[in-house]
Amino acid sequence: MTAFAAAPITAAAIACGALLQRDLRAFLRSRSQLYSSVLLPLMLLAILGTGVSDGLNPASAIIRDGDYVSYLAPGMIALTALFSSTFSSASFYRDRENGMLRTLLASPHSAHTILLGKALAAVVIGTAQALIILAVAVLIPGIDLAWQYGWLGGLAMVVAGILALNVMLSGFALLIATRIRTMQGFHLVMNLVLFPLFFLSGAFFPLDELPEWLRILGLINPLTYPVDLLQTAAYAANTDGFLGPAIDFAVLGGLALALFTVGLRRSARAA
Amino acid sequence: MTQIPPSSNAAAVALSDLTYLHPGGRGVEDVTLMLPAGAVLGLLGPNGSGKSTILSLVAGFRAPQQGQVRVLGEPVGRHLRRHLGVLFQESCLDPLMTVRETLWLHGRLFGTGRGALRRRSDELLALAGLAERADDPVETLSGGMKRRLELLRAVLHGPRLLLLDEPSLGLDPNSKATLWEMLLQVRAQGAALLVATNDVAEAERYCDTVAFLRDGRVIAAGAPADLKRNLRRDSVRVEWPSAPSHIAATLAGWEGVGRVTCAPPLLHATVDSASTFVPQLFRIANGAVQGIRIRESTLEDAYFQLVGTPLDSDAPAPVGEELGSP
Repeated sequence: MTAFAAAPITAAAIACGALLQRDLRAFLRSRSQLYSSVLLPLMLLAILGTGVSDGLNPASAIIRDGDYVSYLAPGMIALTALFSSTFSSASFYRDRENGMLRTLLASPHSAHTILLGKALAAVVIGTAQALIILAVAVLIPGIDLAWQYGWLGGLAMVVAGILALNVMLSGFALLIATRIRTMQGFHLVMNLVLFPLFFLSGAFFPLDELPEWLRILGLINPLTYPVDLLQTAAYAANTDGFLGPAIDFAVLGGLALALFTVGLRRSARAA
Repeated sequence: MTQIPPSSNAAAVALSDLTYLHPGGRGVEDVTLMLPAGAVLGLLGPNGSGKSTILSLVAGFRAPQQGQVRVLGEPVGRHLRRHLGVLFQESCLDPLMTVRETLWLHGRLFGTGRGALRRRSDELLALAGLAERADDPVETLSGGMKRRLELLRAVLHGPRLLLLDEPSLGLDPNSKATLWEMLLQVRAQGAALLVATNDVAEAERYCDTVAFLRDGRVIAAGAPADLKRNLRRDSVRVEWPSAPSHIAATLAGWEGVGRVTCAPPLLHATVDSASTFVPQLFRIANGAVQGIRIRESTLEDAYFQLVGTPLDSDAPAPVGEELGSP
Protein backbone atom coordinates (compact mmCIF):
# COMPACT_ATOMS: atom_id res chain seq x y z
CA MET A 1 0.00 0.00 0.00
CA THR A 2 0.97 3.60 -0.35
CA ALA A 3 1.43 4.81 3.21
CA PHE A 4 3.16 8.10 2.63
CA ALA A 5 6.79 8.90 2.55
CA ALA A 6 6.23 12.61 1.94
CA ALA A 7 8.19 15.33 3.68
CA PRO A 8 6.77 16.12 7.14
CA ILE A 9 5.44 19.51 6.09
CA THR A 10 3.77 18.11 2.99
CA ALA A 11 2.29 15.26 5.01
CA ALA A 12 0.99 17.72 7.62
CA ALA A 13 -0.45 19.94 4.89
CA ILE A 14 -2.25 16.95 3.34
CA ALA A 15 -3.64 16.01 6.77
CA CYS A 16 -4.79 19.58 7.50
CA GLY A 17 -6.39 19.76 4.05
CA ALA A 18 -8.26 16.51 4.64
CA LEU A 19 -9.52 17.68 8.04
CA LEU A 20 -10.55 21.03 6.59
CA GLN A 21 -12.42 19.35 3.77
CA ARG A 22 -14.16 17.00 6.18
CA ASP A 23 -15.36 19.80 8.49
CA LEU A 24 -16.46 21.92 5.54
CA ARG A 25 -18.50 19.04 4.22
CA ALA A 26 -20.08 18.50 7.65
CA PHE A 27 -20.86 22.21 7.89
CA LEU A 28 -22.50 22.36 4.48
CA ARG A 29 -24.57 19.34 5.42
CA SER A 30 -25.75 20.94 8.66
CA ARG A 31 -28.37 23.27 7.21
CA SER A 32 -29.53 24.56 10.59
CA GLN A 33 -26.01 25.71 11.48
CA LEU A 34 -25.56 27.22 8.06
CA TYR A 35 -28.80 29.18 8.15
CA SER A 36 -28.89 30.19 11.80
CA SER A 37 -25.45 31.75 11.85
CA VAL A 38 -26.28 33.82 8.75
CA LEU A 39 -29.92 34.56 9.45
CA LEU A 40 -29.61 35.96 12.98
CA PRO A 41 -27.20 38.76 12.02
CA LEU A 42 -29.39 39.58 9.01
CA MET A 43 -32.51 39.69 11.18
CA LEU A 44 -30.76 41.92 13.70
CA LEU A 45 -29.67 44.16 10.89
CA ALA A 46 -33.22 44.43 9.56
CA ILE A 47 -35.15 44.66 12.83
CA LEU A 48 -32.73 46.34 15.24
CA GLY A 49 -31.17 48.51 12.54
CA THR A 50 -34.44 49.82 11.20
CA GLY A 51 -36.02 50.06 14.64
CA VAL A 52 -33.21 52.19 16.06
CA SER A 53 -32.79 54.26 12.88
CA ASP A 54 -36.45 55.13 12.56
CA GLY A 55 -37.67 54.79 16.12
CA LEU A 56 -34.89 56.46 18.09
CA ASN A 57 -33.24 58.75 15.55
CA PRO A 58 -29.70 58.30 16.92
CA ALA A 59 -27.74 61.54 16.94
CA SER A 60 -24.15 60.36 17.52
CA ALA A 61 -21.50 62.02 15.38
CA ILE A 62 -20.20 58.59 14.42
CA ILE A 63 -23.55 57.36 13.11
CA ARG A 64 -23.79 59.27 9.84
CA ASP A 65 -27.15 60.99 9.34
CA GLY A 66 -28.72 58.80 12.01
CA ASP A 67 -28.41 55.83 9.62
CA TYR A 68 -28.09 53.12 12.24
CA VAL A 69 -28.61 50.22 9.79
CA SER A 70 -25.41 51.09 7.95
CA TYR A 71 -23.56 51.61 11.24
CA LEU A 72 -24.72 48.20 12.45
CA ALA A 73 -23.62 46.30 9.31
CA PRO A 74 -19.89 45.88 10.18
CA GLY A 75 -20.85 44.71 13.65
CA MET A 76 -23.16 42.10 12.19
CA ILE A 77 -20.35 40.85 9.99
CA ALA A 78 -18.24 40.40 13.11
CA LEU A 79 -21.18 38.75 14.90
CA THR A 80 -21.49 36.23 12.07
CA ALA A 81 -17.83 35.33 12.46
CA LEU A 82 -18.41 34.96 16.19
CA PHE A 83 -21.38 32.60 15.76
CA SER A 84 -19.81 30.60 13.02
CA SER A 85 -16.50 30.20 14.76
CA THR A 86 -18.22 29.06 17.95
CA PHE A 87 -20.32 26.49 16.08
CA SER A 88 -17.37 25.20 14.10
CA SER A 89 -15.13 24.94 17.14
CA ALA A 90 -17.79 22.78 18.75
CA SER A 91 -16.87 20.05 16.23
CA PHE A 92 -13.85 19.41 18.44
CA TYR A 93 -16.28 18.32 21.17
CA ARG A 94 -18.32 16.21 18.75
CA ASP A 95 -15.14 14.43 17.70
CA ARG A 96 -14.18 13.87 21.29
CA GLU A 97 -17.63 12.50 22.15
CA ASN A 98 -18.01 10.16 19.17
CA GLY A 99 -14.43 8.90 19.47
CA MET A 100 -13.20 10.34 16.16
CA LEU A 101 -10.55 12.36 17.96
CA ARG A 102 -8.94 9.12 19.12
CA THR A 103 -8.55 7.82 15.61
CA LEU A 104 -7.30 11.18 14.39
CA LEU A 105 -4.71 11.27 17.15
CA ALA A 106 -3.72 7.68 16.39
CA SER A 107 -2.60 8.75 12.93
CA PRO A 108 1.08 9.51 12.23
CA HIS A 109 0.49 13.22 12.82
CA SER A 110 1.11 15.23 15.95
CA ALA A 111 -1.80 16.53 18.00
CA HIS A 112 -0.73 20.01 16.83
CA THR A 113 -1.31 19.09 13.19
CA ILE A 114 -4.69 17.50 13.89
CA LEU A 115 -5.92 20.46 15.93
CA LEU A 116 -4.49 22.91 13.43
CA GLY A 117 -6.49 21.20 10.68
CA LYS A 118 -9.66 21.45 12.74
CA ALA A 119 -9.01 25.07 13.73
CA LEU A 120 -8.36 25.96 10.08
CA ALA A 121 -11.77 24.62 9.19
CA ALA A 122 -13.35 26.85 11.86
CA VAL A 123 -11.44 29.86 10.49
CA VAL A 124 -12.40 29.16 6.87
CA ILE A 125 -16.07 28.59 7.70
CA GLY A 126 -16.26 31.68 9.93
CA THR A 127 -14.56 33.85 7.32
CA ALA A 128 -16.73 32.57 4.47
CA GLN A 129 -19.93 33.21 6.39
CA ALA A 130 -18.89 36.70 7.45
CA LEU A 131 -18.07 37.49 3.83
CA ILE A 132 -21.54 36.30 2.82
CA ILE A 133 -23.04 38.86 5.24
CA LEU A 134 -20.71 41.49 3.82
CA ALA A 135 -21.92 40.65 0.31
CA VAL A 136 -25.54 40.85 1.43
CA ALA A 137 -24.87 44.18 3.16
CA VAL A 138 -23.28 45.56 -0.01
CA LEU A 139 -26.28 44.45 -2.06
CA ILE A 140 -28.95 45.94 0.25
CA PRO A 141 -29.80 49.38 -1.21
CA GLY A 142 -30.50 51.00 2.18
CA ILE A 143 -27.02 50.25 3.53
CA ASP A 144 -24.54 53.00 2.82
CA LEU A 145 -20.91 51.90 3.14
CA ALA A 146 -18.41 54.69 2.57
CA TRP A 147 -15.26 52.58 1.82
CA GLN A 148 -12.96 55.45 2.77
CA TYR A 149 -9.84 53.56 1.64
CA GLY A 150 -11.38 52.74 -1.71
CA TRP A 151 -13.50 49.72 -2.46
CA LEU A 152 -10.60 47.34 -3.05
CA GLY A 153 -8.44 48.61 -0.19
CA GLY A 154 -11.38 48.55 2.21
CA LEU A 155 -12.36 45.05 1.14
CA ALA A 156 -8.80 43.79 1.64
CA MET A 157 -8.80 45.29 5.15
CA VAL A 158 -12.20 43.74 5.93
CA VAL A 159 -11.11 40.30 4.71
CA ALA A 160 -7.87 40.52 6.71
CA GLY A 161 -9.81 41.68 9.77
CA ILE A 162 -12.37 38.90 9.53
CA LEU A 163 -9.61 36.34 9.04
CA ALA A 164 -7.70 37.62 12.08
CA LEU A 165 -10.90 37.72 14.15
CA ASN A 166 -11.64 34.09 13.27
CA VAL A 167 -8.08 33.04 14.09
CA MET A 168 -8.43 34.78 17.46
CA LEU A 169 -11.81 33.16 18.16
CA SER A 170 -10.51 29.71 17.16
CA GLY A 171 -7.56 30.15 19.49
CA PHE A 172 -9.90 31.18 22.27
CA ALA A 173 -12.15 28.18 21.58
CA LEU A 174 -9.13 25.84 21.71
CA LEU A 175 -8.15 27.33 25.06
CA ILE A 176 -11.66 26.85 26.42
CA ALA A 177 -11.64 23.25 25.16
CA THR A 178 -8.65 22.45 27.36
CA ARG A 179 -10.64 23.46 30.45
CA ILE A 180 -14.24 22.59 29.64
CA ARG A 181 -14.94 18.95 28.94
CA THR A 182 -18.53 19.08 27.62
CA MET A 183 -20.09 20.76 24.62
CA GLN A 184 -22.84 22.27 26.78
CA GLY A 185 -20.22 23.80 29.05
CA PHE A 186 -18.33 25.10 26.03
CA HIS A 187 -21.40 26.85 24.60
CA LEU A 188 -22.25 28.26 28.02
CA VAL A 189 -18.79 29.73 28.48
CA MET A 190 -18.66 31.07 24.94
CA ASN A 191 -22.03 32.75 25.44
CA LEU A 192 -21.19 34.09 28.88
CA VAL A 193 -17.85 35.48 27.80
CA LEU A 194 -18.27 36.47 24.18
CA PHE A 195 -21.70 38.06 24.16
CA PRO A 196 -21.05 40.65 26.88
CA LEU A 197 -17.75 41.39 25.16
CA PHE A 198 -19.54 41.78 21.87
CA PHE A 199 -22.07 44.21 23.32
CA LEU A 200 -19.17 46.31 24.55
CA SER A 201 -17.23 46.20 21.29
CA GLY A 202 -18.81 49.18 19.57
CA ALA A 203 -20.82 46.92 17.29
CA PHE A 204 -24.18 48.18 18.60
CA PHE A 205 -23.28 51.68 19.79
CA PRO A 206 -20.24 53.94 19.49
CA LEU A 207 -17.87 53.69 22.45
CA ASP A 208 -16.49 57.21 22.39
CA GLU A 209 -19.64 58.77 23.80
CA LEU A 210 -20.01 56.28 26.67
CA PRO A 211 -19.14 57.02 30.32
CA GLU A 212 -15.40 56.81 30.99
CA TRP A 213 -15.52 53.48 32.83
CA LEU A 214 -17.44 51.79 30.03
CA ARG A 215 -15.14 53.29 27.44
CA ILE A 216 -12.10 51.90 29.30
CA LEU A 217 -13.77 48.49 29.46
CA GLY A 218 -14.40 48.80 25.75
CA LEU A 219 -10.72 49.48 25.11
CA ILE A 220 -9.71 46.42 27.12
CA ASN A 221 -12.18 44.31 25.16
CA PRO A 222 -10.42 42.28 22.40
CA LEU A 223 -13.54 42.35 20.19
CA THR A 224 -13.46 46.15 20.02
CA TYR A 225 -10.54 46.07 17.59
CA PRO A 226 -11.98 43.84 14.84
CA VAL A 227 -15.29 45.71 15.05
CA ASP A 228 -13.50 49.06 14.86
CA LEU A 229 -11.45 47.80 11.93
CA LEU A 230 -14.52 46.69 9.97
CA GLN A 231 -16.31 49.95 10.73
CA THR A 232 -13.30 52.04 9.73
CA ALA A 233 -12.67 50.10 6.53
CA ALA A 234 -16.24 49.71 5.28
CA TYR A 235 -18.63 52.08 7.01
CA ALA A 236 -16.80 55.22 8.14
CA ALA A 237 -16.18 58.20 5.87
CA ASN A 238 -13.14 59.19 7.97
CA THR A 239 -11.34 57.94 11.06
CA ASP A 240 -12.73 60.55 13.47
CA GLY A 241 -14.02 58.83 16.59
CA PHE A 242 -12.48 55.47 15.58
CA LEU A 243 -9.29 53.83 16.82
CA GLY A 244 -8.01 53.48 13.26
CA PRO A 245 -6.66 50.54 11.27
CA ALA A 246 -3.06 50.76 12.54
CA ILE A 247 -4.07 50.22 16.17
CA ASP A 248 -6.76 47.70 15.18
CA PHE A 249 -4.40 45.59 13.10
CA ALA A 250 -1.64 45.74 15.72
CA VAL A 251 -3.88 44.66 18.62
CA LEU A 252 -6.00 42.20 16.65
CA GLY A 253 -3.01 40.64 14.90
CA GLY A 254 -1.09 40.30 18.16
CA LEU A 255 -4.05 38.83 20.02
CA ALA A 256 -4.91 36.43 17.19
CA LEU A 257 -1.36 35.15 17.00
CA ALA A 258 -0.98 34.84 20.78
CA LEU A 259 -4.35 33.18 21.44
CA PHE A 260 -4.03 30.79 18.52
CA THR A 261 -0.48 29.74 19.44
CA VAL A 262 -1.25 29.27 23.12
CA GLY A 263 -4.61 27.63 22.40
CA LEU A 264 -3.08 25.18 19.94
CA ARG A 265 -0.19 24.35 22.23
CA ARG A 266 -2.34 23.81 25.32
CA SER A 267 -5.08 21.86 23.58
CA ALA A 268 -2.48 19.64 21.87
CA ARG A 269 -0.98 18.91 25.26
CA ALA A 270 -4.40 18.14 26.72
CA ALA A 271 -5.66 16.08 23.75
CA MET B 1 8.70 11.54 10.15
CA THR B 2 11.68 9.24 9.72
CA GLN B 3 12.12 7.66 6.33
CA ILE B 4 14.03 4.66 7.67
CA PRO B 5 11.94 1.59 6.94
CA PRO B 6 11.51 -0.61 9.99
CA SER B 7 13.17 -3.96 9.66
CA SER B 8 10.89 -6.42 7.92
CA ASN B 9 12.48 -9.42 9.64
CA ALA B 10 12.21 -8.07 13.16
CA ALA B 11 9.57 -9.15 15.62
CA ALA B 12 6.41 -7.14 15.17
CA VAL B 13 6.38 -6.42 18.89
CA ALA B 14 9.00 -7.08 21.56
CA LEU B 15 8.23 -6.04 25.12
CA SER B 16 10.86 -6.46 27.79
CA ASP B 17 10.33 -5.90 31.51
CA LEU B 18 7.66 -3.38 30.67
CA THR B 19 6.08 -1.44 33.52
CA TYR B 20 3.45 1.26 33.37
CA LEU B 21 1.32 2.06 36.40
CA HIS B 22 -1.72 4.31 36.16
CA PRO B 23 -2.17 7.01 38.80
CA GLY B 24 -4.69 4.69 40.50
CA GLY B 25 -1.95 2.07 40.87
CA ARG B 26 -3.10 -0.46 38.25
CA GLY B 27 -1.43 -0.98 34.90
CA VAL B 28 1.20 -3.51 33.85
CA GLU B 29 4.33 -4.73 35.60
CA ASP B 30 7.37 -6.56 34.29
CA VAL B 31 5.70 -7.67 31.10
CA THR B 32 7.92 -9.49 28.65
CA LEU B 33 6.28 -10.71 25.45
CA MET B 34 7.18 -11.21 21.82
CA LEU B 35 4.97 -11.18 18.75
CA PRO B 36 6.76 -12.50 15.65
CA ALA B 37 6.07 -10.81 12.31
CA GLY B 38 2.91 -12.17 10.72
CA ALA B 39 1.71 -13.96 13.85
CA VAL B 40 -1.30 -13.48 16.13
CA LEU B 41 -0.81 -12.88 19.85
CA GLY B 42 -3.84 -12.77 22.13
CA LEU B 43 -3.85 -10.98 25.47
CA LEU B 44 -6.40 -12.81 27.57
CA GLY B 45 -7.54 -11.56 30.92
CA PRO B 46 -10.46 -10.00 32.74
CA ASN B 47 -11.23 -6.30 32.55
CA GLY B 48 -8.58 -4.28 34.33
CA SER B 49 -5.88 -6.91 33.83
CA GLY B 50 -3.72 -4.59 31.72
CA LYS B 51 -4.56 -5.66 28.15
CA SER B 52 -5.48 -2.21 26.88
CA THR B 53 -2.53 -0.65 28.67
CA ILE B 54 -0.20 -2.97 26.76
CA LEU B 55 -1.85 -2.00 23.49
CA SER B 56 -1.56 1.70 24.25
CA LEU B 57 2.14 1.27 25.09
CA VAL B 58 2.73 -0.58 21.83
CA ALA B 59 0.85 2.10 19.90
CA GLY B 60 3.03 4.73 21.54
CA PHE B 61 0.08 6.49 23.17
CA ARG B 62 1.89 6.14 26.48
CA ALA B 63 5.56 5.98 27.34
CA PRO B 64 6.70 3.08 29.52
CA GLN B 65 7.88 3.95 33.02
CA GLN B 66 10.30 1.05 32.90
CA GLY B 67 11.39 -1.49 30.33
CA GLN B 68 11.36 -1.35 26.58
CA VAL B 69 8.86 -1.50 23.75
CA ARG B 70 10.16 -2.30 20.29
CA VAL B 71 7.80 -2.29 17.36
CA LEU B 72 8.93 -3.65 13.98
CA GLY B 73 12.47 -3.66 15.30
CA GLU B 74 12.55 -0.02 16.42
CA PRO B 75 11.91 1.75 19.70
CA VAL B 76 8.26 2.74 19.68
CA GLY B 77 7.43 6.23 18.46
CA ARG B 78 4.92 8.25 16.47
CA HIS B 79 6.94 7.69 13.29
CA LEU B 80 5.93 4.03 13.38
CA ARG B 81 2.21 4.74 13.41
CA ARG B 82 1.97 4.65 9.66
CA HIS B 83 2.75 0.93 9.94
CA LEU B 84 0.14 0.38 12.66
CA GLY B 85 -3.58 -0.15 12.39
CA VAL B 86 -5.62 0.40 15.52
CA LEU B 87 -9.10 -0.86 16.27
CA PHE B 88 -10.39 0.71 19.45
CA GLN B 89 -12.76 -1.06 21.80
CA GLU B 90 -15.46 1.59 21.59
CA SER B 91 -16.90 2.80 18.33
CA CYS B 92 -14.88 5.73 16.97
CA LEU B 93 -16.90 6.82 13.97
CA ASP B 94 -18.48 10.10 13.00
CA PRO B 95 -22.15 9.16 12.52
CA LEU B 96 -22.69 11.99 10.03
CA MET B 97 -19.89 11.02 7.64
CA THR B 98 -20.59 8.49 4.93
CA VAL B 99 -18.83 5.15 4.78
CA ARG B 100 -16.64 6.27 1.89
CA GLU B 101 -15.80 9.61 3.53
CA THR B 102 -14.68 7.75 6.65
CA LEU B 103 -12.18 5.76 4.64
CA TRP B 104 -11.19 8.79 2.57
CA LEU B 105 -10.30 10.86 5.65
CA HIS B 106 -8.26 8.07 7.16
CA GLY B 107 -6.47 7.38 3.89
CA ARG B 108 -5.55 11.04 3.48
CA LEU B 109 -4.27 11.22 7.06
CA PHE B 110 -1.99 8.32 6.22
CA GLY B 111 -0.90 10.01 3.00
CA THR B 112 -2.50 7.58 0.58
CA GLY B 113 -2.78 9.10 -2.90
CA ARG B 114 -6.27 9.90 -4.19
CA GLY B 115 -6.27 7.29 -6.96
CA ALA B 116 -4.84 4.53 -4.82
CA LEU B 117 -7.25 5.49 -2.05
CA ARG B 118 -10.26 5.14 -4.33
CA ARG B 119 -9.11 1.76 -5.60
CA ARG B 120 -8.22 0.46 -2.15
CA SER B 121 -11.50 1.70 -0.66
CA ASP B 122 -13.54 0.02 -3.41
CA GLU B 123 -11.63 -3.21 -2.94
CA LEU B 124 -12.07 -3.22 0.84
CA LEU B 125 -15.72 -2.17 0.75
CA ALA B 126 -16.44 -5.08 -1.60
CA LEU B 127 -14.51 -7.43 0.68
CA ALA B 128 -16.51 -6.31 3.72
CA GLY B 129 -19.86 -6.38 1.93
CA LEU B 130 -20.26 -2.63 2.35
CA ALA B 131 -19.95 -1.56 -1.29
CA GLU B 132 -23.66 -0.86 -1.60
CA ARG B 133 -23.63 1.25 1.56
CA ALA B 134 -20.59 3.29 0.53
CA ASP B 135 -22.50 6.55 0.24
CA ASP B 136 -24.72 6.05 3.28
CA PRO B 137 -24.12 7.91 6.52
CA VAL B 138 -22.43 5.80 9.17
CA GLU B 139 -25.38 6.33 11.53
CA THR B 140 -27.56 4.17 9.27
CA LEU B 141 -25.29 1.10 9.54
CA SER B 142 -25.89 -1.85 11.85
CA GLY B 143 -23.49 -2.54 14.73
CA GLY B 144 -21.75 -5.31 12.78
CA MET B 145 -21.34 -3.09 9.72
CA LYS B 146 -19.89 -0.29 11.81
CA ARG B 147 -17.34 -2.68 13.30
CA ARG B 148 -16.38 -3.89 9.84
CA LEU B 149 -16.01 -0.31 8.69
CA GLU B 150 -13.72 0.40 11.63
CA LEU B 151 -11.65 -2.60 10.68
CA LEU B 152 -11.47 -1.41 7.06
CA ARG B 153 -10.26 1.93 8.32
CA ALA B 154 -7.61 0.21 10.44
CA VAL B 155 -6.26 -1.82 7.52
CA LEU B 156 -6.75 0.74 4.74
CA HIS B 157 -3.14 1.95 4.72
CA GLY B 158 -1.70 -1.56 4.73
CA PRO B 159 -0.33 -1.73 8.28
CA ARG B 160 2.23 -4.33 9.29
CA LEU B 161 0.89 -4.54 12.82
CA LEU B 162 -2.75 -4.44 13.86
CA LEU B 163 -3.67 -3.57 17.44
CA LEU B 164 -7.14 -4.84 18.21
CA ASP B 165 -8.92 -4.02 21.45
CA GLU B 166 -11.81 -6.44 21.97
CA PRO B 167 -12.44 -6.56 18.22
CA SER B 168 -15.63 -8.58 18.34
CA LEU B 169 -17.17 -7.27 21.54
CA GLY B 170 -20.94 -7.05 21.25
CA LEU B 171 -21.12 -8.66 17.81
CA ASP B 172 -23.48 -11.49 16.93
CA PRO B 173 -21.86 -14.80 15.89
CA ASN B 174 -22.21 -14.11 12.16
CA SER B 175 -20.67 -10.65 12.38
CA LYS B 176 -17.93 -12.06 14.58
CA ALA B 177 -17.09 -14.74 12.02
CA THR B 178 -17.06 -12.18 9.18
CA LEU B 179 -14.80 -9.90 11.17
CA TRP B 180 -12.32 -12.66 11.86
CA GLU B 181 -12.43 -13.79 8.25
CA MET B 182 -11.30 -10.29 7.32
CA LEU B 183 -8.64 -10.26 10.03
CA LEU B 184 -7.22 -13.55 8.82
CA GLN B 185 -7.00 -12.16 5.30
CA VAL B 186 -5.02 -9.22 6.65
CA ARG B 187 -2.80 -11.65 8.45
CA ALA B 188 -2.35 -13.70 5.30
CA GLN B 189 -0.95 -10.57 3.68
CA GLY B 190 1.79 -10.53 6.30
CA ALA B 191 0.46 -8.31 9.08
CA ALA B 192 0.89 -9.31 12.71
CA LEU B 193 -2.09 -9.07 15.06
CA LEU B 194 -1.99 -8.13 18.73
CA VAL B 195 -5.43 -8.82 20.15
CA ALA B 196 -6.75 -7.86 23.57
CA THR B 197 -9.72 -10.05 24.36
CA ASN B 198 -11.61 -11.83 27.06
CA ASP B 199 -13.30 -14.06 24.54
CA VAL B 200 -11.78 -17.48 25.16
CA ALA B 201 -13.14 -19.10 22.01
CA GLU B 202 -11.70 -16.30 19.90
CA ALA B 203 -8.28 -16.56 21.53
CA GLU B 204 -8.22 -20.33 21.26
CA ARG B 205 -9.30 -20.41 17.64
CA TYR B 206 -7.40 -17.56 16.07
CA CYS B 207 -4.28 -16.83 18.14
CA ASP B 208 -0.91 -18.52 17.62
CA THR B 209 0.11 -17.50 21.12
CA VAL B 210 -1.96 -16.48 24.09
CA ALA B 211 -0.74 -14.57 27.13
CA PHE B 212 -2.75 -14.93 30.33
CA LEU B 213 -2.87 -11.67 32.23
CA ARG B 214 -3.86 -11.01 35.78
CA ASP B 215 -3.43 -7.76 37.71
CA GLY B 216 -1.07 -6.36 35.09
CA ARG B 217 1.25 -9.34 34.96
CA VAL B 218 1.71 -12.09 32.43
CA ILE B 219 1.09 -15.29 34.34
CA ALA B 220 1.57 -17.69 31.45
CA ALA B 221 2.05 -17.51 27.71
CA GLY B 222 2.17 -20.10 24.97
CA ALA B 223 0.31 -21.73 22.15
CA PRO B 224 -3.30 -22.52 23.11
CA ALA B 225 -2.60 -26.25 22.73
CA ASP B 226 0.40 -26.00 25.07
CA LEU B 227 -1.54 -24.04 27.65
CA LYS B 228 -4.27 -26.68 27.57
CA ARG B 229 -1.85 -29.59 27.67
CA ASN B 230 -2.48 -30.51 31.30
CA LEU B 231 -6.23 -30.23 31.10
CA ARG B 232 -8.49 -33.27 31.23
CA ARG B 233 -11.47 -33.65 28.89
CA ASP B 234 -14.25 -32.17 31.03
CA SER B 235 -14.31 -28.99 33.00
CA VAL B 236 -16.23 -28.87 36.26
CA ARG B 237 -16.79 -25.61 38.07
CA VAL B 238 -18.41 -25.94 41.45
CA GLU B 239 -19.88 -23.28 43.68
CA TRP B 240 -19.08 -24.53 47.15
CA PRO B 241 -18.58 -21.67 49.63
CA SER B 242 -17.96 -23.94 52.63
CA ALA B 243 -15.45 -26.21 50.89
CA PRO B 244 -12.82 -27.36 53.41
CA SER B 245 -9.32 -26.01 52.85
CA HIS B 246 -7.83 -29.44 52.07
CA ILE B 247 -10.45 -30.27 49.44
CA ALA B 248 -8.29 -29.44 46.43
CA ALA B 249 -5.61 -31.87 47.55
CA THR B 250 -8.20 -34.54 48.29
CA LEU B 251 -9.91 -34.27 44.91
CA ALA B 252 -6.61 -34.15 43.03
CA GLY B 253 -5.84 -37.55 44.47
CA TRP B 254 -8.88 -39.13 42.86
CA GLU B 255 -8.44 -41.16 39.73
CA GLY B 256 -9.15 -39.32 36.49
CA VAL B 257 -8.92 -35.90 38.11
CA GLY B 258 -6.42 -33.33 36.88
CA ARG B 259 -5.34 -30.17 38.60
CA VAL B 260 -7.85 -28.79 41.09
CA THR B 261 -7.97 -25.09 41.90
CA CYS B 262 -9.85 -23.70 44.84
CA ALA B 263 -10.71 -19.98 44.74
CA PRO B 264 -13.56 -19.70 47.28
CA PRO B 265 -16.45 -19.83 46.72
CA LEU B 266 -15.41 -21.60 43.51
CA LEU B 267 -13.74 -24.92 43.01
CA HIS B 268 -12.45 -25.80 39.58
CA ALA B 269 -11.23 -29.09 38.20
CA THR B 270 -10.73 -30.75 34.89
CA VAL B 271 -11.51 -34.41 34.86
CA ASP B 272 -11.49 -37.33 32.46
CA SER B 273 -15.19 -37.91 32.97
CA ALA B 274 -17.57 -35.52 34.65
CA SER B 275 -20.22 -38.23 34.89
CA THR B 276 -17.94 -40.22 37.21
CA PHE B 277 -16.55 -37.26 39.14
CA VAL B 278 -19.72 -35.30 39.91
CA PRO B 279 -21.67 -38.02 41.83
CA GLN B 280 -18.58 -38.67 43.96
CA LEU B 281 -18.24 -34.97 44.63
CA PHE B 282 -21.88 -34.61 45.69
CA ARG B 283 -21.42 -37.50 48.09
CA ILE B 284 -18.55 -35.86 49.96
CA ALA B 285 -20.03 -32.34 49.76
CA ASN B 286 -23.07 -33.56 51.60
CA GLY B 287 -25.49 -31.04 50.12
CA ALA B 288 -23.19 -28.03 50.44
CA VAL B 289 -22.73 -27.55 46.68
CA GLN B 290 -24.77 -24.55 45.52
CA GLY B 291 -24.13 -24.73 41.80
CA ILE B 292 -22.21 -26.65 39.21
CA ARG B 293 -21.22 -26.11 35.58
CA ILE B 294 -19.92 -28.87 33.38
CA ARG B 295 -18.59 -28.52 29.85
CA GLU B 296 -15.73 -29.53 27.64
CA SER B 297 -12.40 -28.06 28.77
CA THR B 298 -11.27 -24.92 27.01
CA LEU B 299 -8.59 -22.29 27.35
CA GLU B 300 -10.74 -20.73 30.06
CA ASP B 301 -9.96 -23.75 32.24
CA ALA B 302 -6.28 -23.43 31.50
CA TYR B 303 -6.57 -19.81 32.63
CA PHE B 304 -8.28 -20.81 35.88
CA GLN B 305 -5.69 -23.46 36.58
CA LEU B 306 -2.62 -21.45 35.70
CA VAL B 307 -3.74 -18.10 37.08
CA GLY B 308 -5.64 -19.43 40.08
CA THR B 309 -8.74 -17.30 39.54
CA PRO B 310 -11.52 -17.51 36.98
CA LEU B 311 -11.29 -15.43 33.84
CA ASP B 312 -14.66 -13.83 34.46
CA SER B 313 -13.67 -12.29 37.81
CA ASP B 314 -13.85 -8.81 36.39
CA ALA B 315 -12.55 -5.81 38.22
CA PRO B 316 -13.49 -2.34 37.06
CA ALA B 317 -10.79 -0.84 34.86
CA PRO B 318 -9.02 2.09 36.51
CA VAL B 319 -9.48 5.52 35.06
CA GLY B 320 -7.29 5.95 31.99
CA GLU B 321 -6.83 2.24 31.41
CA GLU B 322 -8.11 2.12 27.88
CA LEU B 323 -6.46 2.08 24.52
CA GLY B 324 -8.21 5.18 23.37
CA SER B 325 -6.03 7.74 25.08
CA PRO B 326 -3.33 8.70 22.64
